[in-house]
Amino acid sequence: MTLAQFSLGALALVPLLGAALTMVLPHPARRALGVVTSLLIAGLTVPVMISVISGELPELVLGGFEAPLGIHLRGDGLAAVFLGVTSLVGVTITGYAAVLPKSTGTYLSSTAWVPGHPGFWPLWLGCWSGLNAVYLSGDLFNLYVSLELVGLTAVALVALGGRSSWEPALRYLFIAVLGSLMFLAGVGLLVSVTGTLDLQQTRGELEGLEDPTLPLLALTLMTVGLAMKVALLPMHRWLVPAHSAAPSAVSPILSGLVIKAAMVVMLRCWLWAVPVLQGSEWLAWMLGALGAAGVLIGSVLALRQDRLKPLVAYSTVAQIGYWFLAFPLLLPGENDAAQLASGAYGGVVAMAVGHAIAKAGLFTAAGFLKDRCGTDEMSALRGAGAHHPVLILAMGMCAVGLLGLPISLGFSGKWQLATAAVAAEHWWVILVVAAGTLLSAAYMLRGIAPLLLQAEIAEDAPAASPVSVRERVGEIAVLVLGVATICTGLLGAGLSDLLEVGSWW
Amino acid sequence: MEAGIDIVSWYLLIGTVMTIFGIVRLLLVRDLLARLIALDVTGIGVLVSLVALAARSEPTDPVLQALVITGLVIAVAFTGLGAVLIRRLEGLQEDPPRGDHQ
Repeated sequence: MTLAQFSLGALALVPLLGAALTMVLPHPARRALGVVTSLLIAGLTVPVMISVISGELPELVLGGFEAPLGIHLRGDGLAAVFLGVTSLVGVTITGYAAVLPKSTGTYLSSTAWVPGHPGFWPLWLGCWSGLNAVYLSGDLFNLYVSLELVGLTAVALVALGGRSSWEPALRYLFIAVLGSLMFLAGVGLLVSVTGTLDLQQTRGELEGLEDPTLPLLALTLMTVGLAMKVALLPMHRWLVPAHSAAPSAVSPILSGLVIKAAMVVMLRCWLWAVPVLQGSEWLAWMLGALGAAGVLIGSVLALRQDRLKPLVAYSTVAQIGYWFLAFPLLLPGENDAAQLASGAYGGVVAMAVGHAIAKAGLFTAAGFLKDRCGTDEMSALRGAGAHHPVLILAMGMCAVGLLGLPISLGFSGKWQLATAAVAAEHWWVILVVAAGTLLSAAYMLRGIAPLLLQAEIAEDAPAASPVSVRERVGEIAVLVLGVATICTGLLGAGLSDLLEVGSWW
Repeated sequence: MEAGIDIVSWYLLIGTVMTIFGIVRLLLVRDLLARLIALDVTGIGVLVSLVALAARSEPTDPVLQALVITGLVIAVAFTGLGAVLIRRLEGLQEDPPRGDHQ
């Protein structure tokens, strides 16, 4: 077994082991173990990424059982990219939560609500284990199980936020479970046709199939189920209360990473498992139309918010729309198909990765201000920037990434998407991207500008109290994410090469 | 009954009907506990369909059976989580100042 193969298995199992260990430890020890585990995961990501960058495809067959019954873990370009970004965001957020324990929720002791929820650590490590397993799994069954692990731990993480968060958490649970049940039904249908769960074998079997009706039904079921979990526009209503009621350390995990897991499964189904089917065009066009509606309506709704965290959450709804805009372009058309599809695919991944980093940073900053000032009403946050120049700088850098200004990954993603759209002569995509960019500039200004205003802060207000050393260290976490938003833009070309490794064409 | 429909098709039909009823009820009802139960009905409907699909071949398809067993475990997990959240929320309504703590 090579080091890369070992890391494949360890990436899914080490966080799970960490989660089990943190369950039995007292709270301060949980924080220490959480940080150690996160560094270990980041270390394990390195051999997998090196192996994939050098053009290999590490693969681990657990227990020596071959497909269709055995479990295959595969590392390819898509997996490596998302493993990398999850490690970056994960380590930063873990550090933030360890330094500022009150960002992990509130806990009802025998007498009162105590800040700092010890349940955060096992749940977050369990969620991380599920995320890594989603990226690496080579069969539909493990995709389902690990997506379910991510979904259930995410619901429990939302519920750490105290009373106000229980109702959004329950709503999230209903939608997430309904989505995965539809996905499961789709998987079952595919298996009944092909007799295998393995992604490559499924594709091979389906390519030999004459009648596309059943795989098309399965693909529709899986797509609708996953769209619920990603929060594509008409199914987005759960996202805003869940992401804004969650504790400060949880919102960036949910918005940055958890919805990306469902997006990765969506890409795996459309591009790896199911070949191009007769009649799947209308589904792709519908996803494209919903994506366009998501960009526009999500941005307008973000503009209408009075509180910072819901504004950031609606901006996530708008950004999700961009990823689905590309779906009509992913289908091979009449002209140079493969190149076009790869451009659109690279654009989607670049935008998703850029969003993961930038949105994690922005949500951490919003949660930081909410924890410090006791509210996230934008009128009450006037002048909060005076005490936190580093935080505001970092928020600005994250906003650059979300807007898609050069040199962030958001820019290269939009550029690739626009190039593919021009080549395919789908001009409406350009219009939507341009309108979405202008609207997002407006809502970002609306979110950040009040913080910069000069305002008299009452002396007894929580915002006027001196900033502790721990809070200063917490601001560094946001700065790291902000700098990463800008710097990852320099990796844009490398990202496209990396995605070529083990791609479906 | 006509001889035209065999037993597997019957179970497939029952599974599909249960799934659809579950989803409709989940989307229409307001009571939280009823919604959780509707979600369970949907889950059972999906699993019954999968069992029926597995029973079409002789011997029974082990891959689909594995899917069903995992689906059952996950159904237990989400029902438990949902029940805890609902109990807390209802406790909140009955006893607002002290929350659900006993």
